[in-house]
Amino acid sequence: MVRELPKTDVVIVGAGWTGLAAAKELADAGQRCVVIERGDWRHDASNFGAPEEHDELKYARRKEHMIDTQTKTLSFRNSSDQTALPMRRLGSFLPGKGLGGAGIHWNGQLWRPLPSDLKMRSHYADRYGEAILDGLNVQDWGVTYDELEPHLDFFDRVCGTAGVAGNLNGETKEGGNPFEGPRSADYPNPPMKASPPLQLFQKTAQEMGYHPFQMPSANVTKAYENAYGAQLHPCTYCGFCERFGCGYYAKADPIICIYDVVKDHENFELRMNSQVLRVEKSADGKTATGVTYLDERGQEVFQPADTVCLNAYALWNVHLMLVSGLGKPYDPETGEGTVGRNYAYQTLAAAGVFFDKEVWSNPFMGAGALGMTIDDFNGDNFDHTDLGFVGGGYISANQTNGRPINYHPTPPDTPSWGPEWKKAVRENYLHHVGIVCHGSSVAVPGNYLDLDPTYKDAYGQPLLRMTFDFPENDRRMSAYVLSKAEEIARNMDNVRAVSTVNRAAEGESYSVVPYQTTHNTGGAVIGTDPTTSVVNRYGQMWDHHNVFVFGACLFPQNLGYNPTGPLMGLAYWTLDHMKNDYLQNPRPLMDA
Amino acid sequence: MPNFSRRAVLLQIGASGLAAVTPGAALAQNRYAALDTQPWSYLDGSEARFLASMADVLIPEDDFPSASQAGVVDFIDLQLAGPYGQGAGLFLEGPFADGTPEQGWQTAHTPASLIRNGIARLEDGGTRLVDLDANDRSAFVERLSKGEGFDLGDVPVQTLFDEIWALVKEGYFSDPIYGGNKDYAGWEMIGFPGAHAYYTDHVDKNAPFPAPPKGIAHVPGTGRSADTARPLRAQTAREEG
Repeated sequence: MVRELPKTDVVIVGAGWTGLAAAKELADAGQRCVVIERGDWRHDASNFGAPEEHDELKYARRKEHMIDTQTKTLSFRNSSDQTALPMRRLGSFLPGKGLGGAGIHWNGQLWRPLPSDLKMRSHYADRYGEAILDGLNVQDWGVTYDELEPHLDFFDRVCGTAGVAGNLNGETKEGGNPFEGPRSADYPNPPMKASPPLQLFQKTAQEMGYHPFQMPSANVTKAYENAYGAQLHPCTYCGFCERFGCGYYAKADPIICIYDVVKDHENFELRMNSQVLRVEKSADGKTATGVTYLDERGQEVFQPADTVCLNAYALWNVHLMLVSGLGKPYDPETGEGTVGRNYAYQTLAAAGVFFDKEVWSNPFMGAGALGMTIDDFNGDNFDHTDLGFVGGGYISANQTNGRPINYHPTPPDTPSWGPEWKKAVRENYLHHVGIVCHGSSVAVPGNYLDLDPTYKDAYGQPLLRMTFDFPENDRRMSAYVLSKAEEIARNMDNVRAVSTVNRAAEGESYSVVPYQTTHNTGGAVIGTDPTTSVVNRYGQMWDHHNVFVFGACLFPQNLGYNPTGPLMGLAYWTLDHMKNDYLQNPRPLMDA
Repeated sequence: MPNFSRRAVLLQIGASGLAAVTPGAALAQNRYAALDTQPWSYLDGSEARFLASMADVLIPEDDFPSASQAGVVDFIDLQLAGPYGQGAGLFLEGPFADGTPEQGWQTAHTPASLIRNGIARLEDGGTRLVDLDANDRSAFVERLSKGEGFDLGDVPVQTLFDEIWALVKEGYFSDPIYGGNKDYAGWEMIGFPGAHAYYTDHVDKNAPFPAPPKGIAHVPGTGRSADTARPLRAQTAREEG
């Protein structure tokens, strides 16, 4: 017997960045919000303190903050002629669980999309002609940079972002990213300190005519009171950022930046250890009536609500739609349907720089967003004529960590174990930096998400099935951007050797085994055409007007940037339209 | 009287290491010697000998300790006895099928049973890794790393090698609270100062940072971590030699 609870105004699935932002904004707007989260309650103050949190085995290797595959995983294959098999162990990407979601173990690399990124199809078609997009499901987002800018700016003030503006109200500023869209306000905090390898990268990039700048960082550089009145503290460069929570209150996360200021709100209720199974629909199928979930005792509960917000991790939002029958599933045979369409990832490559003994990188001194970056080869910041691809990536000397189990850079041709390996690890550990190429990912018809026909999760539901390999476009893009990174690496001072790795190299297929990045995007994309998008430009489902969707599942294709900034800009944009329009008069906000 | 001796295991694996030349001196430095009266938690003696022999090919002794000297076998023993070895974080619902390398772990084994069955089948023919000389041990590990010439039934050779190598690195470089990285051997080797990390004033300086390592359970004034793995060893002790 399913227990039915009293109706609430809004039910929110997931207590990560977007879920807690939705709860805060909607509770303030007078909406009674129930947030349902599958994982445990936790807090930076009580759960993430050093030195216990600085446990590489527990958090980076055994992944204690991440989703457990025994409760939630997906099946995977490179192409639809293979049989998908379960991703039995976490690897390539690390969805979170618990209060704060994956937002507690992010790095804090906080970007904005380029104005041209948000109108990718029309921009490329105008500049190069439609043919450059042949075979790609590249789309416009349906929302412009100018529309998102106030919301991107607000999120900078939620996080206390540290950086140097490159474009302040249209005026180009020295030391910032000259390619970025105009900012209405400067960064709230000054940039991070630059470690010796970052200083060398900056010098060389400048000499080569590029435009280096310090990566925008949500690792806060000064004591800062955020837009909601929460207090953050300066980063200590401890080197335990990605995979870890921050007990220093220095990495902006959903718990200290939002939860703490909404937790006592009369319109806010949080239910932990509760697994949402499906969104329920009305008899006519046109609206959602609420969600059914398993509570902390394993009892099935129905929570009715006027409005349903899907704020789970990108992949699980799509899964929830598919098992609930929301929207039309994508069919790769016919190209029809939209849920699961335009799944994309991130295309990563890197150059490793091995210095002589004059340069001390001390890699254990790091921060998640400690980087010196050029954006000269990202988006359409460079001429794509005759290059054979669209998109690009930023190139960044990053010093995020030197955690000793995982960080063993060795020069090319070093054996992978044995005496020579051991010697090389010892000699290079303190004298190395990685230069990452953080590349975009286009959507193509053959990469998609649907339900697996064979494998089921702990709740008896079919696993999400991922079919993905790197598109040819992105292989060409990655090789090109990597060649530029390698050139910079070889021109740097005091360099003895340079290594390269390209996850999207020709002849190699995408693998779920080695960690790449937790930037899974698409599958429930935003747009202005219901035949190619799941939600309209306000994040509202075309087929069910009281369902709003948040997160990177909205991205029509993935940017050359980390997703948290763009997806939070979209979240505040959606919440703005919910608060100031939809909730007064619930209806489809666009005509299908 | 224990029915087992880590010291005896060590003497046997000494063919490629310092122990063969100066057993007394090397033993004094060795984790096994200190733990000689402690029973294993998961491994048996022959599994321990195999893992010690293989681990010391992967990370041999030089100016810094070998893997086994740094407590890696003790670390692996505890890991296999604990949640990780028993399959925590591993989705083990069937059906099982041979996947592509890109699809990752597809065997029904837990890490502990993978390693137990893998070692048993590798040594099924009667030749034990521990009995080979240094060159032959290296050649064996080389072949194992490439998956060449082994049929281990439902134990995928590449997965077995990758799993052992991952555990060896974890044991050499993880915080000493887990039983490896004895006296910060791995951290001393590379210059990692440990878990107590506050670098605001140093991060932009081009200079060495010669702080001695301190782990999560560092005992002030000793240069060592507290042995927090001891309770787990006691809890999981096996009557086996």
